[in-house]
Amino acid sequence: MSDAIRTESLGKTYPGGTAAVRDVSLSVRSGEIFAFLGPNGAGKTTTISMLTTVLRPTAGRAEIDGFDVVEAPEQVRRVIGLVFQRSTADEVLTGQENLEIAAGLYGLSPGEARPRIREVLADLDLAGVADRRVRDYSGGMRRRLEIAVGIVHAPRTLFLDEPTLGLDPQGRAQFWQMIRGLRARQEMTIFLTTHYLDEADHLADRIAIIDRGTIVTTGTPAQLKDRLGGDGVRVLASRPEAGIVGVLESVPGVVAVEPAARDGSYRVRVAQSASIVPAIVRACDAAGIDLAAISTHPPSLDEVFLNATGREYRDAGESGENGAVRVAPGGR
Amino acid sequence: MRREFLSVVRREYLRWVRVPIWVASFFVVPILYLALFGQAFDLNALFPSGAAGEFYVRRALLGAPNYFSYFAVGMAGFVTLSASLYAGTGVLFDKQLGIHQRTIATPAPRTALFAGTLTFRAFMAAWPAFLSLGLALLFTEIPGLVGLTVRSSVTALGIGEIVLAEILLALMFTALFLSFGYVLDRNEAYFGITSLLNLPILFTSNVLFPQSTMPPWLQNVTAYNPASLAVNVLRENLFATSGYPYPPEIYLLGLAAWAIALIGLALALSARALRTP
Repeated sequence: MSDAIRTESLGKTYPGGTAAVRDVSLSVRSGEIFAFLGPNGAGKTTTISMLTTVLRPTAGRAEIDGFDVVEAPEQVRRVIGLVFQRSTADEVLTGQENLEIAAGLYGLSPGEARPRIREVLADLDLAGVADRRVRDYSGGMRRRLEIAVGIVHAPRTLFLDEPTLGLDPQGRAQFWQMIRGLRARQEMTIFLTTHYLDEADHLADRIAIIDRGTIVTTGTPAQLKDRLGGDGVRVLASRPEAGIVGVLESVPGVVAVEPAARDGSYRVRVAQSASIVPAIVRACDAAGIDLAAISTHPPSLDEVFLNATGREYRDAGESGENGAVRVAPGGR
Repeated sequence: MRREFLSVVRREYLRWVRVPIWVASFFVVPILYLALFGQAFDLNALFPSGAAGEFYVRRALLGAPNYFSYFAVGMAGFVTLSASLYAGTGVLFDKQLGIHQRTIATPAPRTALFAGTLTFRAFMAAWPAFLSLGLALLFTEIPGLVGLTVRSSVTALGIGEIVLAEILLALMFTALFLSFGYVLDRNEAYFGITSLLNLPILFTSNVLFPQSTMPPWLQNVTAYNPASLAVNVLRENLFATSGYPYPPEIYLLGLAAWAIALIGLALALSARALRTP
């Protein structure tokens, strides 16, 4: 299977020395759904902007379907579709008119555009509202229209920048289903950025996690979790216990113990959660530690992120120190 | 290139036609100016009646039989300038709504994006001039109103020159203000710069007032103002006059030079703004 997207040491440093993205190397195979996962400000939008020729890289290179984003931006634009974070449809125009104008901007003749627009409207369940002005569309219809505009010229690769931002859980689930269907029917590669862990987990064939402008790990959701080396156990003592880490680490089968930042609990990574819970309870009991709660769960992408960055995912986007970093003048 | 250009023109048209107040203002503004300002301000009243008075009026107004006629032709230049001031607002709003970002992510040539918007907006700036002239001519048929009186010997060449002058005037100012839309990101900056340019362009021209009533230094500025050059072409062709130092073709040449300079500047500014950052 050939690569639809390939980057080598891609980077973007803004004038003034702010490095938003550094040394991003990745490859996305044709037909894949690839999720670029990271907290707010991690560098996702800057990366997707470089891949779609909206921003010019200051380091490295990137190719889409073999076309270099700097040397052949027009060819890149012809083979990609782009769906932005927010609605960009013209509200005073109808859905049909928005699609016709988008098709024209991609150089499609009316004869080529008509059947394609019919197909896209039907595929995204918008045929019944095509003649309605966009300002009368619901939020879900607008998202679907955005995608319709993004694929009206039948791109080989579709870029989605935070496509489910602002949608409720039901809307997001419907969106995932739609994206899977699109990939199957339209035979396209899909590259999406998201800061929702569950979105990447449920939707993507492969994931790259980006933090502070660099990729920290890449793999299928299963591979990323497998690398943690087993299930997770959450242990919460009824009161702060100084020696609890040592007690937990002494239990045979425990791989690692990490304090969870918010509620005073501990994450215990183990090889086999089913058999180890009684052993942890016995060890704590013997040490006089009163447990308030103990639960097991399979590895999550949250733990993958924690393992790769040393920070909890939910804290990363709030710390204010993620994403862009300043580099010395002349440095990258 | 052609399809992309036509798509931009079509979108501009649809956006215009879907906003009723915008369409209404297109027709109503010239009527209001002609019916209120043009009728209220009558320079003829300052001169004695009779043949002597008429001589003075024609001399001051360079051949126009009355101030309304002088003003109505100037209005053609004024409405074109006024309409072109808004040429960049669509781009500015598109930037704020994300439509501009989506458009420049398509393979459509940048020249098609610029030329499509320029074509529609320039048409929308030029057309009210002809509407305004038509309305002013109609006023002659309405009892109690002063109308536009033109000489009976207006030639086809003269009409061609009038159309060309209006098109050049619309193109140069539309291109300039459109480029400001591409360059600037904030509404305040855009409207600040248009206010800053609008009044000096208008008041250093002979669009509303005869050049002969101005102090010498201002007359020199007015003589080279593109709005004056365009209006000179119109007045010289519409009124029986020998008050202009040059034939209309010379003013057209001056106007063409302005058009080349301003459209060139607009292209350079827009190309720079549309470059991938």
